[in-house]
Amino acid sequence: MSCNPERVTAYVDGALDAAGCPELEAHLAACPECRAQAEEERALRAQLRALPPPSPSPALEARVRRSLRPRRRAASWLLPLAAGLVALLAWARGAAPFVAWELSRDHDHCFGGRRLPAKVWSSDPARVAEWFQGQGTSVPVIPEAAAGLELVGARYCPLFDRRVAHLYYSNGDHHLSLFLVPGPVRDVSREMRPRGNFVRFLRVGGTTVGLVSEEEESVEAFRRALSTTVAWDFDRVDRSAP
Amino acid sequence: MAESVRNRRRDGGVSPLGGDVPTAGLNREERFEAEALPHLKALYGTAYRMTRNSHDAEDLVQETFLRAYRAFDGYTSGTNIRAWLHTILYRVRTDAFRRAGRSPQTVEMEGDGPAVPAPQDALASGAEDLVRALDGLPEAFRIAVVLRDVQELTYEEIAGVLGVPIGTVMSRIHRGRALMRAALRGRKP
Repeated sequence: MSCNPERVTAYVDGALDAAGCPELEAHLAACPECRAQAEEERALRAQLRALPPPSPSPALEARVRRSLRPRRRAASWLLPLAAGLVALLAWARGAAPFVAWELSRDHDHCFGGRRLPAKVWSSDPARVAEWFQGQGTSVPVIPEAAAGLELVGARYCPLFDRRVAHLYYSNGDHHLSLFLVPGPVRDVSREMRPRGNFVRFLRVGGTTVGLVSEEEESVEAFRRALSTTVAWDFDRVDRSAP
Repeated sequence: MAESVRNRRRDGGVSPLGGDVPTAGLNREERFEAEALPHLKALYGTAYRMTRNSHDAEDLVQETFLRAYRAFDGYTSGTNIRAWLHTILYRVRTDAFRRAGRSPQTVEMEGDGPAVPAPQDALASGAEDLVRALDGLPEAFRIAVVLRDVQELTYEEIAGVLGVPIGTVMSRIHRGRALMRAALRGRKP
């Protein structure tokens, strides 16, 4: 057999088949050059095997694990974002300008149609209060009419995240909405004009009342009417504060 | 020639078979983490020898595990997962070369030019020479030698990783070692 260095390599690696081995072994015994090659390759392989393996940075495994979980990774930045949004909404839902805008929109919506979408039709405050009471909402003492606007009916309206009792006052040409707003409303002392309407908040018998109308006089008349009965006007509280 | 070469695991050391890991009752992700992730350092070792720098090696390993995870359903449990991962590693590497307009298959007997000294921590001077000789090999030879002598894959597994006949594997290992021996002796083969 003549020298075949590649077969010597395969022999060193134990990759030569059983039939080829005796023949090559016989050749190695007779050929110092091939024997030297085999010895050197064995030594080289042992040296390579003994090389300290290069170490990746400790962060690599974490990086790989993260990359395997795109959804969880997305959640890791979505979560603070979602939490931020929730906090923002929690803050916004209690802010008077935000609530005022919502009430104003609902006022336009209900009076903007051809027909009022009332669920209870009555000009009697006691009758309307009774209807709401039956559904779990207590209504404070409210006027039957003011500035020529009379109570005509009421219903629940959905706001952004809650439902409010919406009482309709009208004289045919002009309208006023009286809302009973559950939950907190902050910064209510200011007069607001969202969407071109006039909005005032009052605290009446433990309930936040929102008044919305296109006419400033109507809002003012109802504010007075509520204040002179049981209402507790924020303005008055503010003015009396030291 | 290739016919006379057969696959035989020469050593009786630790089996790299993924089947050793008890993975019953694990979901796909957990199974992948249990079977594949323990080979991260081995993969990095090969990637580092391929790229000769830690930055590219880490990118290569990350991309390899991402692809392996996507392809994990195609992996046959109980077969050599380290060989399977190396197949993907090599594919990622060749894809990167293809994008760059080069091929790691290019075999140049004179080597890739001066070897970049490996910034490996505190190697003995003998080991430094060895790494320099290894890094000085053309990549096709270097990969074959690393898969055989460092990763201890069989010729058959290496043929599967590189997608070449076993005879080519033998030839590349032989030529790689011959070049290294010559470099360590300070002369051409």
